[in-house]
Amino acid sequence: MFPRPGRDVGFPIAGCALLFAVFLAGGLIYESFQGRAAERLVTVMLIDAIIVLGIQIYVGNTGVLSFGHIGFGAIAGYAFAVFAISPEKKLKRIPDAPFGLNDVLLNPALAVAVAIGVTVVVALVVGIGLARSGAESGAVAATVITLALLFVTHEVARNWPDLTGGNRAGLTFKVGAALDSRLPIYLCLLGALILARLFAQSRSGKLAVAAREDNLAARAMGVNPLVQQTAALLISVAVVSVGSSLRVYENGSILPDDFFFNYTLLTLAMLIVGGRNSVTGALVGVAVMTVGRELARRLGQDGFEVFGLGLDAAPLDWIFRENLQTVFLGLAMLGFMIFRSDGLLGDWELDGWLWRLWHRRKPEERPEPLAEVAPVGLHAEAEREGAALEVHDLAVDFGGFRALDGAGLTVAPDEVVGLIGPNGAGKTTLVNVITGIVEPSTGWFKLGERELTGAPSHDIARAGLLRTFQNLRLFGALTVRQNVELAARVAAQHRPGSHPPVDALIAEAGLWDVRHRRARELDYGSARRLELARAAAMAPAYLLLDEPTSGMSDAESAEMIGRIRHMAAAVDAGVLVIDHDLNFITGISDRIYVLDQGQVISAGTPDEVQADPAVRAAYLGAESDAEGRA
Amino acid sequence: MTELAQNLIDGLGRGSIYALLALGVAVVFGVMHLLNFAHGELITVGGYVALWTLGAGWSWYIVTPLIVLSAVLTSLAIERVAFSRVRGSSDFTLLLTSFGVHFVISAIFLLYVSASVKPFDRPSWVTNTYSIGPLNIEVYDTVVIAVTVLTLIGTTLLLQRTMFGLSLRAAAADFDTARLMGVRSDTVIRGAFALSGLLAGIAGVFWLMRAGSISPGAGITPMLKGVLAALIGGLGSLRGAVIGGLVLGLAEVLLRSRLPDSIASLTEGVVFLLIALLFIFRPQGLVTVKHAVRV
Repeated sequence: MFPRPGRDVGFPIAGCALLFAVFLAGGLIYESFQGRAAERLVTVMLIDAIIVLGIQIYVGNTGVLSFGHIGFGAIAGYAFAVFAISPEKKLKRIPDAPFGLNDVLLNPALAVAVAIGVTVVVALVVGIGLARSGAESGAVAATVITLALLFVTHEVARNWPDLTGGNRAGLTFKVGAALDSRLPIYLCLLGALILARLFAQSRSGKLAVAAREDNLAARAMGVNPLVQQTAALLISVAVVSVGSSLRVYENGSILPDDFFFNYTLLTLAMLIVGGRNSVTGALVGVAVMTVGRELARRLGQDGFEVFGLGLDAAPLDWIFRENLQTVFLGLAMLGFMIFRSDGLLGDWELDGWLWRLWHRRKPEERPEPLAEVAPVGLHAEAEREGAALEVHDLAVDFGGFRALDGAGLTVAPDEVVGLIGPNGAGKTTLVNVITGIVEPSTGWFKLGERELTGAPSHDIARAGLLRTFQNLRLFGALTVRQNVELAARVAAQHRPGSHPPVDALIAEAGLWDVRHRRARELDYGSARRLELARAAAMAPAYLLLDEPTSGMSDAESAEMIGRIRHMAAAVDAGVLVIDHDLNFITGISDRIYVLDQGQVISAGTPDEVQADPAVRAAYLGAESDAEGRA
Repeated sequence: MTELAQNLIDGLGRGSIYALLALGVAVVFGVMHLLNFAHGELITVGGYVALWTLGAGWSWYIVTPLIVLSAVLTSLAIERVAFSRVRGSSDFTLLLTSFGVHFVISAIFLLYVSASVKPFDRPSWVTNTYSIGPLNIEVYDTVVIAVTVLTLIGTTLLLQRTMFGLSLRAAAADFDTARLMGVRSDTVIRGAFALSGLLAGIAGVFWLMRAGSISPGAGITPMLKGVLAALIGGLGSLRGAVIGGLVLGLAEVLLRSRLPDSIASLTEGVVFLLIALLFIFRPQGLVTVKHAVRV
């Protein structure tokens, strides 16, 4: 099912070619008016675009803010220079070069390959560090690690003159620019564009975006974000390495300050202004910022003379000063962060738009009902054999508070089991334990023969325990359909047997008409149903539903009973449902466990439990919840 | 032994300044979940105030309070103009907003003053030393350590004994709950920025006395030290920030004197590397603050 050849491959490539053509045409037209003076500006813009696209692959897809990519660029730039500069030149600048590098000379293309290799190895080490520091969207420690990387590379470049030529001399090719033709730049830019778009549409890219939107929910859905983030980092760094090598080659030299704070600011501002979550946006940002900066620079130099209008600029002399472009850069970044933090384009992509345009002509047909396309018995028979969910004697302590105190239960494969108890009884903690979010101090749980105690969340999800969250965790920036598709992608990789069709699940959840809506725009009830559909798309062995009707009206709640039972039967999953609403739990469950103060105080059919005096004392006596919800 | 004692004293002097910077970063992080990359700019502004006032022939005794005052005012102004508009935004937005503020401020000095490094007079006693036994102690370090101790005592009293301090600590522990309990978010946030500016101002006075010069990019290093120290300590924790600052200062001085000559010039790089390793093996910093994850 994934990747879809048209949507995920063909359209992105065509879109990138179109983008590239427009971007380049803009540059060439400007050049044809301004003459040779503009040539370098356009070349620099093309190279900046490659580097910014490289940064976009990581920052856009993972949401981790990186200041370190220009540090990676420095590593690549120096590696490239050291390998591509002639031995005679090196003898002059760096006569004592270590590792016998003095005698090495590679042709530029090979030197770029070496630069990529060296930088990617460094990136792998940094990536492990980022992963361990708990990198997720907006993570502060990860950002500071990248900042530290930028400073380390700068320090090393300044203080290791034997390799880098030091702070003043640097490494040089020949006088002036070394690159004779722009063709390599064109090819690299087109390649970077296509790579960035294909990665975004790839399984890795989609899963990284899921983790960006909600790390915890992604893990609970079987995604291991660290794998996707590392993949994004390595690809991103490879692209940055190519761009940086070109930048060094084009400049004809490299100095420590070429790849430091100012260039970091410039590239990040380009990315932010255009829209970091979009490849199209990154390219638009490069164009807009290049034009804006050039304009600011020339206004700063010549005032209104720039336009040849002969206007008197004297009143604005206090603004039109040298270095105006630096202020412009800072203000652009700040302004966008404050007023439009998603940039000009947000997550709009040219090829996505073309795709929608293309398909508007033939309306999608409403899918077949789920029960007909996905009859009971979806899973491979072997896996189903006795795969009961067993939870035994769990205990969890939060500081001095014992949230679970020897709680246990079992759910059979075709059962709907309710877990009820007053607030603070430990219901959510129990689900958190069996989805790997909280580690128990004692006790175990297993699915069939497989013990899962202590396994990471994503392994538990892949084993077939899929949960929903009490306070909704959807991938807000993605559409309804993309939310469900993501789960289907994970399922295609990690869940054996056949999988429920995405569109049928969406229709089953009553979301067909809003399938193109972003998840964060949904009303509460729809959002709950989407979470259910997303979990069901994983073809789970068990659905663990944490208060699936909280915030719903009585009517919606009653309707949800049928929906849950039907969907679970259709994807052939057992259900463990948690709630404190007795009407709902008795309405939906085959069997019920009652939890109080971390212990199971009663278990049985709804009738038995309701009749149990211990339950009445502990629960019904304490709350008049039997009347309905508060 | 003597050398170690000497290193400890030097390191404490350096670390004290870092501690003040880190505490300022931590205070703001506590109330806004904002890692303030613009923190160093408070020192840049103070530096230009010093440049102009000293250039006009004023003495350091008058200039010192002016530097502190300018840092406090700048901190409040930054909050008003930029950070108040992004309250509650995503962490990504907050990080880049502070980065943007950092650049706008240094760019303004670039535009209106100059890119070059401008020197100003240092107070005469900064380079003086006195001896206790075999130890050579700088008057400067002594003053720095003493003032830092006083400042920390003052800050502790402020946090422990006043209603503002209680609100600030409550907000740092759990901002949403603190607001529900009637803590006024505007007051607390502005107070936090004022306190952060005050601490940066005091640190800035010493930083500038030692540097004896100012340039538009001068804020980067103190910002980095403050941010790193706060992270070493574990961001949510105020005590951790102070510990982080001292650890960073000691680590720098010890490494510089202990590393073999061939790589001594890479001390900063080695320190960064060690910090990166710390984050890798103890991402929560030295002082752990447990936060319940709401699921």
